[in-house]
Order: sequence, then structure tokens, then C-alpha cells
Amino acid sequence: MALHASTVVVPIDFSSASASAINTALEIVENPSQLYLIHVMLPLETMSPGVLLGDVTDVSRTEKVTTALKNLAEIHKAEDAHLAVTIGTPGLEIADYAKREKADLIIIPSHGYHGLKRLFLGSVAERVLRHAPCRVLVLRRADQE
Amino acid sequence: MSPLFFKLFLFFTFLFLTGHNIVALAQVPEPASANVETDKKDLNKEAAESFTASIDSQFGIIVENMANVLFWEPVKAVPIPLIVIILLCGSVFFTIYHKWLNIRGFKHAIDITRGRYDNPNDPGEISHFQALTSALSATVGLGNIAGVAVAIQTGGPGAVVWMVLIGLFGMTAKFNECTLAMVYRKVRPDGTVDGGPMHYLEIGLQERGFPFAIAKCFGLVFAIFCIGGSFGGGNMFQANQATSAVRGMIGDRPGLDWFFGCLLAFLVGLVIIGGIKRIGQVTEKIIPLMCGIYVLAGIIILILHANQIPEAAVLIVRSCVSPEAAYGGFIGVLVQGIRRAVFSNEAGVGSAAIAHAAAKTDEPVREGMVAMLGPFIDTVVICTMTALVVIVSGAYNTPEAGQGVEMTRWAFSETLSWFPTVLNISVFLFAYSTMISWSYYGEKAWQYIFGTTKKAIIMYRILFLGFIVLGAVASLENVITFSDLMILSMAFPNIIGGVILAPRVKVLLQDYWRRYKANEFTVYE
Repeated sequence: MALHASTVVVPIDFSSASASAINTALEIVENPSQLYLIHVMLPLETMSPGVLLGDVTDVSRTEKVTTALKNLAEIHKAEDAHLAVTIGTPGLEIADYAKREKADLIIIPSHGYHGLKRLFLGSVAERVLRHAPCRVLVLRRADQE
Repeated sequence: MSPLFFKLFLFFTFLFLTGHNIVALAQVPEPASANVETDKKDLNKEAAESFTASIDSQFGIIVENMANVLFWEPVKAVPIPLIVIILLCGSVFFTIYHKWLNIRGFKHAIDITRGRYDNPNDPGEISHFQALTSALSATVGLGNIAGVAVAIQTGGPGAVVWMVLIGLFGMTAKFNECTLAMVYRKVRPDGTVDGGPMHYLEIGLQERGFPFAIAKCFGLVFAIFCIGGSFGGGNMFQANQATSAVRGMIGDRPGLDWFFGCLLAFLVGLVIIGGIKRIGQVTEKIIPLMCGIYVLAGIIILILHANQIPEAAVLIVRSCVSPEAAYGGFIGVLVQGIRRAVFSNEAGVGSAAIAHAAAKTDEPVREGMVAMLGPFIDTVVICTMTALVVIVSGAYNTPEAGQGVEMTRWAFSETLSWFPTVLNISVFLFAYSTMISWSYYGEKAWQYIFGTTKKAIIMYRILFLGFIVLGAVASLENVITFSDLMILSMAFPNIIGGVILAPRVKVLLQDYWRRYKANEFTVYE
């Protein structure tokens, strides 16, 4: 059965797995403008050296990530895709974004770790599953460490 | 059970098993408050004191039990704790293995720090100079002002020699760990970086063929002690000595330690929970100025006492080779010197590697060389100067000079009567900036274990503030032992892992040095 969706959210962490998630999404949507790419940044620590002595701010970080998202979209010939950069806990932010954009599908890669590795590595996909307002397609990652 | 709570459960179980001995708890000695004279009229004061004393006594029992485990002495005839042996051997090993880089690379390290090779387009958050400033704001502070006094008090003047020697050897230990932190750091898409011993231990050891579980264990043990260190030396010791400085300034008042502890916690909370970064930025900028004033005052005193310096130097050297029995003989002096030096410059401990990982460069070795200057400035320059002032002023054998920071204050005020006010302000600012820097180290370690969720992070920050208050009310002895335990124990995984990964650093260093000698680097000055 073919999977149909007209508003697809793809969380991007700039790994090779996010690239294959974009490809999967492009196969599903009719038009790249139905694609919603989001990158979630962690909150900035006010006591980090970059903030106290350097010039790291939320504005400078957002600019860098937006440029990187644009480049990624161009590489996949999806210049019309919607881009978003938010700050917070990745799983929750992705689910919130899907709610805001009234998405009908989220495509997210997952390591599929269990045991000790599951305890310490990646639970973003799990959190998205628990909070998502719509269907979630979990892709098994090929870039396991 | 959610992973966060499962990990919290494991974390506190580990701390409990390491530190708490139920049998010992059952034999709790009567707290010091039991000796409070009953004819005291001020009952409120008595109640407050007894509450404080009971907290301190409970804390003391935990610390004592932890010390039994972590300061284990493998050879009974030679009472040197295992961790001190590891620190000493590790620092000497790195120095010989990297062919005395602390000496041959010194000039180049200064050139890098001056910004000769700073390329603004390199990945990272801060310049080489800013990375060094950031790491120094965590190390230069009460370890130099109060720690030196403690070293002389407990190890005699001879301890200074060992402090300086371990400072010199520690330079290459610092080089090794900061280079590794750069090699294995993660640069996020937003330009921020994440690095430190927990990451290089985990990834580096796996690269060298260790299974995931063992590599992860190294990272976890480091992270646990780093969190402990952020509560101890990076927090309680600072709060304790800052409170002591205030007490020296306005006299002892009932409830002062509680009040001042809460005030400090509030001020740190403004930055780490309130997110008011301006306060932290201003403090970080004032610190180099305060260091300058402190060193200048020390130089003035030493010039005024110039004729006594040769005598002091002779005393230091003589008591280092033939120490008095009161200080535990030769071994006692050696152990005290090393403990206080490492506590002050944190070489081999791995903490500074977290700050240095943020440097803007694509040459890991280059940042390692900058980091090498840390122990030199901290221990060889500032600690030696404090030690000479404490000795030429005679404070070290004057009982009324007090202990810790009070002894240093007494020593400086003998010559410069205006100095105590400046010192009190410095102590406060040093303590404040060290607490902020260490809260960052501790939080990075906490994130490594508990993840980056909001809930986990806020939990750490609240605990951190709680320990500030505890540090202000506990006694110096307990606080120092706890702080030493945690900070020195970070060296267990860090030095062992660092030795295993040293060949990687050596290859990078040889390549870098060859290109440096062939003038292949672009100079941006």
C-alpha cells in the first residue's frame, strides 16, 4: 500500500540518516513544498565559555543552522521545502512543530539500540512517537556507530 | 522506569556504596554541638550552631568513608595514596613520552596564545587566548590563595617544592588531555562544541579496540567524579572560603554562614538558572585584572622583603629534603604538595579539557600547547609567589594567622595594610567565577550521563546551588577532603585513558612539530 501524505515533517540532525529520510519523504510527497524540515538546537548554557567570552548567541546559532538547512535542501533539489530552527528538547520540539504545521506524517531515523546502548544513546525517535499528533514513520538507521 | 530515573537511581546508588558505610553511621560520634556549654544564654544561637554542626558532622562521616576507598594506600610501608602515585607517574610519563614538550614548546605556546595563528574561520567558539582565560578562571582562585596556605600548614614549607615540580610536569599532562579533547570533540551544526574526557575516553578507547561497555565505563566514572568535583572543589571549597573571608572582614555573627551561603547560591543562580549572562561576562572580564592586582601586590611584598627571600628559599629547599616529623616526614610533604598542586592546577584531572575543547582551531595539538601554559601560570608563578609571601611574612608559623585563606590574608596585611579589602573582593570574585566555570564542567558531565532534557539539566543546577549553601556551613577540613577526593579521583580514568591514547597524540604532535619547524603555518598577525 502506498503511503500518502501532504504535509511531512522530517527532523534533521545533519547525519547521513537525515539525508536518507529526506529522500524517503520526497518519494511520498507530490511536491517538495510539502516537506517541513526542522532542526532542534539545545538551549545555550549561560555559563559556557562561548557565551561568556566568545560571541555565541541564539541568533548566531540560528543563522548557521538555517544556512546549513538551506544547503541540505538544495542538495536534494527541495529548495521549496519549509525550514524551521527551534530551541529545546528535540523529541518534544519535533512533535510541537508537527502540531503547529498540522502535519500528517513525521519521518524520523532511529538507531534501534537496546540494552546499555539504548540507555545512553538516542531516544529522540521514542519521544517523538509518544508525543506525535500524527503518523510516524521510523527508519532504521544505516549509520550506526 | 524512565531512563532518566533509572540512571539517577544508579548514580546515587554508586555514590552511596562508595561513600556511605552503614556500620560507620551506626557508630555516629556525638556531634561537636554536644560540647556546647549549657550555660550559654543565647539559645537561638546555640540551636543554629548545633544544627550546622550536626550537618557538618554527618557530612564528615560520609567524607571519611569515601576517603578510605578513594585514598587507598597500596603499599602499607609507604603511605602514598594510589591516586597520588597515578598522578605523579602519569605526569612524569607524559613529559618523557612527549620529549619535554613543556620546555621545548614553551615559546611556541606563548606565540599561539598571543594570537599569531588565530584563523577566525576555524571551527570552534572562542580564541586560544579566551580558552586559556576560561580554563584559568576555573583554576586560578582559592586553590592559589588558600590552597597554598593549606599546603604549607599541613606539609610545611617544603611542600612548595613538590607543588612547583608537579606543576612543571603537569604541563604535559594538561597538553595530552586537551589535545585529546580537541581530537574527539563534536562540532554541532550550530557552531557550538561538545568535548572533554568523557567523550575522548568513550570514542578513543573504542578506536583502540576496547569494547563499548569498557570505554563507556571509563567515560561514566570520569563523569561521576567530575560531577562530584563540581560540587566539591568547584563549589563547596569556594563557598566555604568566600564565607571565611567575609567572616574575617565583618567578624563572626550568628547565622552568617547560612545567610552568606544562600546569598552566594542566589547570585550563582542568577547566571546558571536565571540566564543573566551579563553578570558572568563581567566577572570573567574582571578576573584577569584581579589576578594582576594579586600578583602585583605579591611582587611589592617580595621586593620589600627582598633580603629575606634567600633565607626563605633555603628554608623551602631544606624542609623539602629533610622535612620535620610534624608534617609526616618526607612522604607526608610529598603527598601534601602534590595534592594541593593538582587541586590548584587540575593537571591530569581533565576538567580544563572541557573548556579548551571550545577553542577555534583545526589543529588539536595547537590548543594542547596553549593549555600547557595553565599549570605554569597557576602553580609555577602564582602559587610560588603566594608561598614566598606566606613564608617571608612568618605567617606559616604564627598561630594567630589562622588557616587557609585567613593565613594568606594575614601574610599580605603584615606589609600592605590596605590589602585585606582587595583580597576579600578577589576571593569573592575568584570563588564566584570558579563556581560558574565548574557548574559548566559539572553540567557537561551530568548531560553525558542523564541526557540533555530540560528536567535533567534543571535538576543538576538546583543540586549545584544546594551544595553552595552546604559548603558555606561545613568545616574547612571536611570540605577540603571531599573536594580533594572528587577532583583527584577524576584523574583515575583520565590518566589511565590518557596513557592508552597517548600514541595518538604523539603521532599528531610529531606531524605538527615537523610542519612548525618547516614554517608551514600561516601567520595571521
